[in-house]
Amino acid sequence: MRLDLVDITKSFPGVLANDRVSLNVSSGEVLALIGENGAGKSTLMNVLYGMYRPDSGEIRIDGQPTTFQSAADAIAAGIGMVHQHFMLVPVFSVAENVVLGVEPTGALGSLDIAKARQMVKEVSDKYHLDLDPDALIENLPVGIQQRVEIVKVLLRDAKVVVFDEPTAVLTPSEILEFFEIVKSLVDAGKGVVFITHKLKEALHIADRIAVLRRGTVVGETTPTQADENKIAEMMVGRPVQLVVSKNSAQPGEEVLSVSDLTVLDPDGRTVVDDISFAVRRGEIVGIAGVQGNGQTELVETLTGLRAANNGSVRLGGDDITVASPRLRHEMGMAHIPEDRQRQGLVVGMSIAQNLVLTRYHSPEFSNGVSMDWGKVHDVSEELVKNYDVRTNDVDNLASTLSGGNQQKVIVARELSRDLRLAVASQPTRGVDVGSIEYIHSQIVKERDAGTAVLIVSTELDEVMALSDRILVMYRGKIVAEVDPKKTSAMDIGLYMAGSKPQGVAS
Amino acid sequence: MRKRTFKGLAIGLVAVVGLAACGGSDDTATEDTEAVTEETTAEPTGLACQVTDVGGVDDKGFNQAAYEGLLQAQSELGVAVEYLESQGDADYDPNLQSFIDKGCDVIITVGFLLADATKKYAEANPDVAFAIVDSGTSAANVQGLTFAANEGAFLTGYMSAAMSESGVVGTYGGINIPPVTVWMQGFALGVKYYNEQKGADVKVLGWDIDKQDGTFAGNFESLDDGRNIAKTMYDEGADVIFTVAGPVGLGSAAFAQETDGKLRIIGVDKDMSISDAENANVYLGSALKGVTAAVFQAVQDALAGTGGGTDYVGTLANGGAGYVVSQEIPAELQAELDEIQQGIIDGTIATM
Amino acid sequence: MPRWFDALGSRLNRMSSLVITLLAVVSALVVGAVIIILSDVERLGNGEIGAAFSELATAYSALVRGSVGSLRALSETVNNSTPFIIAGVSVALAFKTGLFNIGATGQMLAGGLATTWVGFVMDGPAIVQIPLALLAGLVGGALFGAIPGVLKARTGAHEVITTIMLNYIASFTILWALDTQLFQRPDRSDPISKFVSDEAMLPKVFGFIGLGEKFPAHSGIIVALLVVAAYWWFLERSKMGFEFQAFGQNADAAEYAGMRAKRLTVVGMVVAGGIAGVAGGIEILGRYGYATQTFAGTIGFDAIAVALLGRSTPLGTMFSAILFGALQSGGREMQVETDINIDLIVVLRALIVMFIAAPLLVKAIWRVKSAQVSTGQTFKGWGS
Repeated sequence: MRLDLVDITKSFPGVLANDRVSLNVSSGEVLALIGENGAGKSTLMNVLYGMYRPDSGEIRIDGQPTTFQSAADAIAAGIGMVHQHFMLVPVFSVAENVVLGVEPTGALGSLDIAKARQMVKEVSDKYHLDLDPDALIENLPVGIQQRVEIVKVLLRDAKVVVFDEPTAVLTPSEILEFFEIVKSLVDAGKGVVFITHKLKEALHIADRIAVLRRGTVVGETTPTQADENKIAEMMVGRPVQLVVSKNSAQPGEEVLSVSDLTVLDPDGRTVVDDISFAVRRGEIVGIAGVQGNGQTELVETLTGLRAANNGSVRLGGDDITVASPRLRHEMGMAHIPEDRQRQGLVVGMSIAQNLVLTRYHSPEFSNGVSMDWGKVHDVSEELVKNYDVRTNDVDNLASTLSGGNQQKVIVARELSRDLRLAVASQPTRGVDVGSIEYIHSQIVKERDAGTAVLIVSTELDEVMALSDRILVMYRGKIVAEVDPKKTSAMDIGLYMAGSKPQGVAS
Repeated sequence: MRKRTFKGLAIGLVAVVGLAACGGSDDTATEDTEAVTEETTAEPTGLACQVTDVGGVDDKGFNQAAYEGLLQAQSELGVAVEYLESQGDADYDPNLQSFIDKGCDVIITVGFLLADATKKYAEANPDVAFAIVDSGTSAANVQGLTFAANEGAFLTGYMSAAMSESGVVGTYGGINIPPVTVWMQGFALGVKYYNEQKGADVKVLGWDIDKQDGTFAGNFESLDDGRNIAKTMYDEGADVIFTVAGPVGLGSAAFAQETDGKLRIIGVDKDMSISDAENANVYLGSALKGVTAAVFQAVQDALAGTGGGTDYVGTLANGGAGYVVSQEIPAELQAELDEIQQGIIDGTIATM
Repeated sequence: MPRWFDALGSRLNRMSSLVITLLAVVSALVVGAVIIILSDVERLGNGEIGAAFSELATAYSALVRGSVGSLRALSETVNNSTPFIIAGVSVALAFKTGLFNIGATGQMLAGGLATTWVGFVMDGPAIVQIPLALLAGLVGGALFGAIPGVLKARTGAHEVITTIMLNYIASFTILWALDTQLFQRPDRSDPISKFVSDEAMLPKVFGFIGLGEKFPAHSGIIVALLVVAAYWWFLERSKMGFEFQAFGQNADAAEYAGMRAKRLTVVGMVVAGGIAGVAGGIEILGRYGYATQTFAGTIGFDAIAVALLGRSTPLGTMFSAILFGALQSGGREMQVETDINIDLIVVLRALIVMFIAAPLLVKAIWRVKSAQVSTGQTFKGWGS
């Protein structure tokens, strides 16, 4: 099968999301679709999957023009999609999830679960997925859940499988296993579209790489013709520095010291397990770990959004274990939260209002009763200029900004004052390459100005590039402290998965 | 009957939703205003208007009875008629004002709760004739239409006591106001008279003669309340319930229907076995108030200019109060009732 | 217009939601027209389609005449709109705070009862009595609004559930209170309160130039307009208004920013309750002069529709309240002129709200090709 997207154009009011995009993928090959957030990848895939109707252009299957009215049409035409966010019912078994919607039925319309089990088994064996049909989804690690999604797609006879940012939630070793699965799909004659913003992965797995920028395909290349720098340049439109340039750290006295910190989640499970560490001024400490190993809870506890069950947190010698977020803020702690849409911004408010979200109450902007929005506006214009937020008006809604610019708003707000400690969680998640470069440089600048910096990221590359020291978190504990200059990514990956690199004594 | 009910609206709505679902949205021509005039018979002799209380002219009770009096005036006296339905206290004033503006010759207000508003507008508009159902005259241009409702209720109370097998009967009212409690008092006294005459001990739930207080739904609208009160009384042993709460009583009748004839209802205001025909079999009888006749009379008086400042009192004697019973009651009980009725008319039996 | 004004949304977006609102109203009127015609079963059965259409024309012209066709009609519209405006602001403000205040009815009852009490207990000139009586309404409503606020902050009980339940509690509490010697009118046995003193009654707006007869609107409308202005100031200028909105749009971000969620929840419900309490007080002092169990009617519920229709903005809420008030007074005239039941007005209002809640439907019907239509953050309350 050969799938062609021909001159697809799709616009939304005020936005041309896809501008005459043409792509093709054939059986037995992997096409990586790479581009920054907002480049139009998702729109294009929604067109392909029947969720949007293109304004113009057409989809051809083996040369035959087709139109999809709905996802069901796309599925029927042999297109399968594995979404970034899985659509699984946690309390159902693997087999039940896989057949949801295409249930094999026995007499009187009852669910033929034996048949379902059999179907899962067959597909699992064929592609070496190693799935237990009776396992409950909620008990499975993310990597295995993803395979369930893949089985779902395969059982619906997909000939072209689209993966939307499939590695975002995986550990380094799971990523390797995932690539094996992709290879077996290709060997079995499937076409694969691999949507990503990670350059390395695209280079590793793809046969061809299409780069999307601002709604258009700016180029197509192959891993043999291009390297990371070249692709990054295509994505951003200018040369990009992918390596963080920084001098070695000059650590000073301890600013943040955490001792014996334990945090339970509302269900009483230990999510942060007796952690102790310190961050000194002038250094960047990175916390590496696979998502869901307690990093979120650790950061929330450090910043006052979650109560500690045991242990203490000190900032410059003062015990702040029970201090409010606002007090911590006033004591010189900055917090770049991991999810800017959920926590960092009120996207329905203006950029200016978001730029003062954590200090609107200061005498600078408010007399305690009313707000001086004029002052807010002036300060915001200054911040927008200094922190390279691309907007023509600070009174526009924050929702009108791209992910990278939204993140820069948060960075501007949090770093534009005298700080003792900056806690940055996933500072560049979903941010374009150009903005990553900028945000990283700001963080390093902050360090050099004498701030203690704590970076928490699930992107190992990022932690390794920024940190002066790395702590690895696994199941709520710090399982290793390593020097990024002396340790390989593979070894850190093993720590992240809860095992130890060979040759390391316990 | 000149009344478009919600059923019509509902049919319309369903049809429209159907249309919308088909995406049919051609501009529905609303411009077609070519007048097709209404039936123009003889020049009306006047304009008689009615402001109902909550419940409206299809409440199968006294608002409807009053409206029928108006319709009778329309056909027999040749007046034009209008009505406005009150949906709450807030509507009394504006409804009256609308009719003043409209130039009504006589305005009938239905219900004790409209007494304040009626008085106010009567005083402000001395040229307009008013009549109020269930309240006395309050101004020179207001005719009061009141009823010795206790007389009919007395007879139904006696009858209920006689027919009760459990020895427990019940009654409840809509709101604790005199035109309601007068029925309940009459009913309870009728039961008491039965006990005295027969040496029986039939109990009355829902009204206490000594305390002059009892059970009230708190409104004249909620069929749910009627169902709940009837159920409670039924659970306490009552097998006949006299409902004095307008449409609320319809809920009680519906509940009675579910008891397979174990619970019987006494209707109020009108012969409910006719107006609530679906549940005709549960009605043991109804205590009547001659609202229809009184309203017709009031329109007639108003046109003649004689009603203002006077009170019409409907009694058993003049037919303005009464009762009906189901065919099933024994002949000897009917004879007793006839005898008591005469005693009331003669004044030898007290019903207050 | 000040530049920050744009902050609430791009002008384009504003325009399109205004257009959608207007189209929703028009759509509702069209559907209402179809209902009027289709429900005229008798005439349609007789094939008198022309007559049915003429009745429709009569009905809608009566709707207009009865709402704005004369000074008295206008005055009636003003009086009807007043409680809708104030209660609408109460619900809108709660929406902005991310709270779904279904309890405006109960808060009106609580506030109205407090106003009534002050109104018949106190003596003194109007200038003292009216503000004090309304203040009592404010306090009564605020205290009643505090209950769901505290329950939510302390236990997480959803305010939709608690406010609905509190409506029942208010309804029966007032029933009980009206039966007590303190409140019950001496010559009555049904639950109805004493009259407030004449000085406490809100004067006619134009009474002072002798227009009280021709234009009997009471001065509650002035209070209502002040409430709208205060609401505007609160949203646009005040520090707390900023906190409320940040919290309403994104509670997590507000908490991250150091705002105290529990306090905002309680204060939001207290303020909303207080405003609804004033609406109750205005009804007592402007319209009735006494309290009954049902004086709040369905205003508290209709206020939800008012706030939705007005997208919880100050001006939007005011205009939608006026529309509702006009429909109500026009509906009366329509009932006088035709045999269409006033219940049609309720259907019309429901249709308007339905079309507002389904902007896609409106867009599909009218083939509007435009920006994404926001349903406003008014629906956020459910997510919390």
